[in-house]
Amino acid sequence: MSVKQLKETFKQLLAYRSAIVGLCILCFIMGLSIYAVIAIPYEEAIRAWRLGEDVSINNPRNASPSWVNFFLKKKLPETIIMDTLKKESGAKKKIVEGETISVIRIEFPFEFNYDDFPSELNLFFTANYSENAPYITIDWIKPNGATIRLKEMAVKKTDRYYISIDDELAKKLRLYLSEKVGQEIPYEIPPQISLFAVEDESILKPETVQVLKGKYKMVIDGILFEKQSDINSRLVVYGKVFGLAGTDHLRRDLMIGLLWGAPIAVSFGILASISISFLQMIIAAVSAWYGKWADMLLQKATEFFMILPFLPILMMIAIFYKLSIWVLLVVVIALSIFGSGVKTYRAMFLQVKELPYIEAAQTYGAGNLRIIFRYMIPKVLPTIIPSLVLSVSSFVFLEAALAILGLGDPVVPTWGKIINDAYTKGALHQGYYYWVLEPSFLLVLTSLGFALVGFALDKIFNPKLSEM
Amino acid sequence: MRRELFAFLKYAAKRTVTLIVVVILAIYATILVANMGGYVDEIIKAQTRDSIYTSVFQNPAYQHLSTEEKKQLAEQLYQIEIEALGLDKPFIYRSGGYLISALSLNLGRAIYLTSDSGSTAVRNIIAERLPATILLFTTINLTLFFISLVGGLFLSRKYASKLDKAVVTLSPLSSIPGWFYGIFLILIFAAWLGWLPYGGLVDVPPPTNPFDYALSILKHMVLPIFSWLVAYSFIQTYTKRTFFLMFSSEDYVEMAKAKGLPPRLIERRYILKPTLPPIITEFALTLIGSWMGAIVTERVFNWPGIGTLFYQAAVFMDSPVIIGEVTIYAYLLAITVFILDIVYAIVDPRIRIGVSGA
Amino acid sequence: MVKHLLEVKNLYTYFKTRKGIVRAVDNVAFTVEKGETLAVIGESGCGKSSLAKSIIRLLPRNIHTYKGEIYLGNEDLMKLDEKKMNEVRWAKISMVSQAAQNSLNPVIKVGQQVAEPLVIHEGIDKKTALERARKTLSMVGIPEAFAERYPFELSGGMKQRAIIAMALITDPDLIILDEPTSALDVLTQASIMNMLKTIKKETSKTFMFITHDIAVSSELADKVAVMYAGQIVELASAEEFYNKPLHPYSIKLMASVPTLRTDKKLEFIPGAPPSLIDPPKGCRFAERCPWRFEKCMDEPPLFPIDNRSFVKCWLYESKGSFK
Repeated sequence: MSVKQLKETFKQLLAYRSAIVGLCILCFIMGLSIYAVIAIPYEEAIRAWRLGEDVSINNPRNASPSWVNFFLKKKLPETIIMDTLKKESGAKKKIVEGETISVIRIEFPFEFNYDDFPSELNLFFTANYSENAPYITIDWIKPNGATIRLKEMAVKKTDRYYISIDDELAKKLRLYLSEKVGQEIPYEIPPQISLFAVEDESILKPETVQVLKGKYKMVIDGILFEKQSDINSRLVVYGKVFGLAGTDHLRRDLMIGLLWGAPIAVSFGILASISISFLQMIIAAVSAWYGKWADMLLQKATEFFMILPFLPILMMIAIFYKLSIWVLLVVVIALSIFGSGVKTYRAMFLQVKELPYIEAAQTYGAGNLRIIFRYMIPKVLPTIIPSLVLSVSSFVFLEAALAILGLGDPVVPTWGKIINDAYTKGALHQGYYYWVLEPSFLLVLTSLGFALVGFALDKIFNPKLSEM
Repeated sequence: MRRELFAFLKYAAKRTVTLIVVVILAIYATILVANMGGYVDEIIKAQTRDSIYTSVFQNPAYQHLSTEEKKQLAEQLYQIEIEALGLDKPFIYRSGGYLISALSLNLGRAIYLTSDSGSTAVRNIIAERLPATILLFTTINLTLFFISLVGGLFLSRKYASKLDKAVVTLSPLSSIPGWFYGIFLILIFAAWLGWLPYGGLVDVPPPTNPFDYALSILKHMVLPIFSWLVAYSFIQTYTKRTFFLMFSSEDYVEMAKAKGLPPRLIERRYILKPTLPPIITEFALTLIGSWMGAIVTERVFNWPGIGTLFYQAAVFMDSPVIIGEVTIYAYLLAITVFILDIVYAIVDPRIRIGVSGA
Repeated sequence: MVKHLLEVKNLYTYFKTRKGIVRAVDNVAFTVEKGETLAVIGESGCGKSSLAKSIIRLLPRNIHTYKGEIYLGNEDLMKLDEKKMNEVRWAKISMVSQAAQNSLNPVIKVGQQVAEPLVIHEGIDKKTALERARKTLSMVGIPEAFAERYPFELSGGMKQRAIIAMALITDPDLIILDEPTSALDVLTQASIMNMLKTIKKETSKTFMFITHDIAVSSELADKVAVMYAGQIVELASAEEFYNKPLHPYSIKLMASVPTLRTDKKLEFIPGAPPSLIDPPKGCRFAERCPWRFEKCMDEPPLFPIDNRSFVKCWLYESKGSFK
């Protein structure tokens, strides 16, 4: 198709409102894809996605997107991180050196004014020493002045204290609060709640427990046994919201997956669609032109592939051979090229074959291949463009389907994979709707974008009814 | 009449032979693909080892032997058996045998999965699940077919009306597969509103009264059916309506009008009847497509059919079931294609008689 | 006065299109007597097919104007409602249309289709109707066995005969043949014309034969009507017409037909027929007429010549000839 024809088609396309909407959507998705590739390089994205927790340890688990707070009356907390290595975070550290031993005090003061409790509470340490590990005590000071000793421990070179899953602490706090209120607390109250709760009767029911707002402080007093010893610490008060898209069960920022899902979905879909359409067209043209044996052979091949159950075989291959998404693409193409499209195109080519200008080409001595590629295929090409565009959607969803069945690429973040994670972790039952809705929304959008443009193209290239 | 019947039988026979050949090739290809990872061999080896060990340990004649001795004996017998089965030879020689087993539906034993009745025979497991799939997807496809047929006819009479434009605008919804809508329908009707169940075949515990049981099944079928209706009814109605409009501008339709035939008769005999071949082609493609779409849909709705079975087998890597299922799918497709070819021949005399005719 | 079999008066048929209103039939009037064959001659696009369809009331969706009087015997067909008109169709007037190749339902056997009008209009049972269909088919030269075949098994000529059989079977008062042979090769054309001639002789049916081919029309015509740009410009008996056409257009048409036995210099008519959307004022042929003069700026009426012929041309204002 010449440039002029392209421009003409484009103009015709713009006459349809639906096509304009579709094109806008596609521009948006393309924009996302380009942004993803530029902002987060491929390797980094894969690494962040695969390593999950290790890389995203500072992120909360299953956090909703931050903008959710806009709609809620009870404001969900953001994550508060204080790191002695980062003075701006508000962490304070002081070492008083003595003759043989030194005393270290680390303070983490912060304000907590949210309406809901943190999801988790973790402390991370790095310590420098040669033989004797430093020894610390960790205290917690609530706005009402109550000081609670959390733990005493030695600090190894890298160490962590998962406060919210410390059972002993939980029991201790439950006892303490029960005494304070004068009644036994009837449920197992976790530390991240008891350390932040208003200490009155409201604490007796998990539905009524309130956040005590105000200034909190964690104080770590430690003894350094060696001259060169040092401790650095990071307190993470995990919130319940994170970023633009929230996080999943492995603390991964869903934005990575959502952004990168775009170029992957689009390239998978477009590559599959174009390869299959073109290969089918060439096969059909050869079959129609050469006739006889070539035709019969190709017809039988088409029937064979029609009986071969596409998805089950694809799944079987994916199960047994653990494929990456690009190998999967090749398999999909290989299984599809003898599909039903070949029959339709062949019918078209049989008609084209009879056209007088084909005969003319033969008489002036044009070779078979030349006729197929220069004369027959260009004639049929416009008719297949609509179905080419439309089928992109189905391939995007094919990849999503495989992911939902747990057979997608195990490494690469795709929208389908996110939905699969959400589904298997019971997102719908637990109310983590955003986890399912966000990738679904993008899938639907992409698919509709291609569909709207494809349908409009179909009306342009294949007008079946002349308007009266 | 006899001439027609003869031509018809010839056609049917030709199609049967072709399809049988194709099925054989397809299943053979499946076996080859499956074993390229050595899986079929692993299955056989594991099953053989299992059965020999069990028989040795349970055989009263060997009771007096120590565990060590029993193990040794079992190993020896196992080696003999392996040689006898030819598992020490390359795969190609054995693939023929597997092919025959698969064709006769002797599909072996599952590794992990069992049927509800306790059998591990793959054939039984699949047979147990097959009816559920057939029930759901036949219902879906027939419903879609009739809705779109009636809708298409209705719309073709009201060309360019508002309803027409509405259906055209909603057709792109079909780019999103039915199972995807399913997820959202579950979100809305099960999670949020709680009106309909999340999935499964019947309520748990299942009602004992057969009438209530049937009703329960119907209740569980609502969302899956609805999800496919949302996805595909618009485009199918639109396609049929376009067919009807195209076919109603044919010359013989005008001739029929000139003949003074009543409009209903014209619609039935001159528009509907000649349009049946492409409509049936479309139905064929949808039906075949739905066997595939079934897998994901069943997974989404936890519908206990062969689709979910496939998913479970994938999770457990239960290769005999996986291979057995692919075989069954090949058969299902072949049967579907065959039935549709026959219907095609019944409906279109050009196929029946062969275009060379007189 | 003997009543005419068909009398058409002041017939107007206009269609609505995106480009404007097409005046396909613009005030047409003529009569056909029983047993007569009226040939309607004209170029493609002059409105003759629309005329045929107007008589049998097969109107497309974009009809704009349809008025006039069409008397079949005593009855004005224009006054009938759709249901009554449907009873008239085929029972009293049948039509063989241009696209014979696609006029037969591809999925129904030929015999059944030919028998169909009998079943619908006369309430005859299927078996008897099929018998009569077979007889009619053999009458048009198709072996009875072919009643069991499907249309795709018949050749083009046979299909055309089958359709003619279908048009005859209800013994209608009037049979309209719209270009029945145009799509066929010359040999088949000849055989079909012969068949029609035989039928005409043996059954004395009334035909309206529409064609662009003057030569073909001469084989059957008793009366000739020449159509140009939606109007009838000449109406004469066959004998008079083929010997001495009167209207300048007819004269030119005749001059362009090759003759076998005489040596004739063939002429052609320069220019093209006017569009039916915005026909020129006055005489529509004036543009291309070598004998035009100032009066042709006004539209001429149909001047009668000896009570049998009519010519729509100012040259015949005073009832003599002009040459």
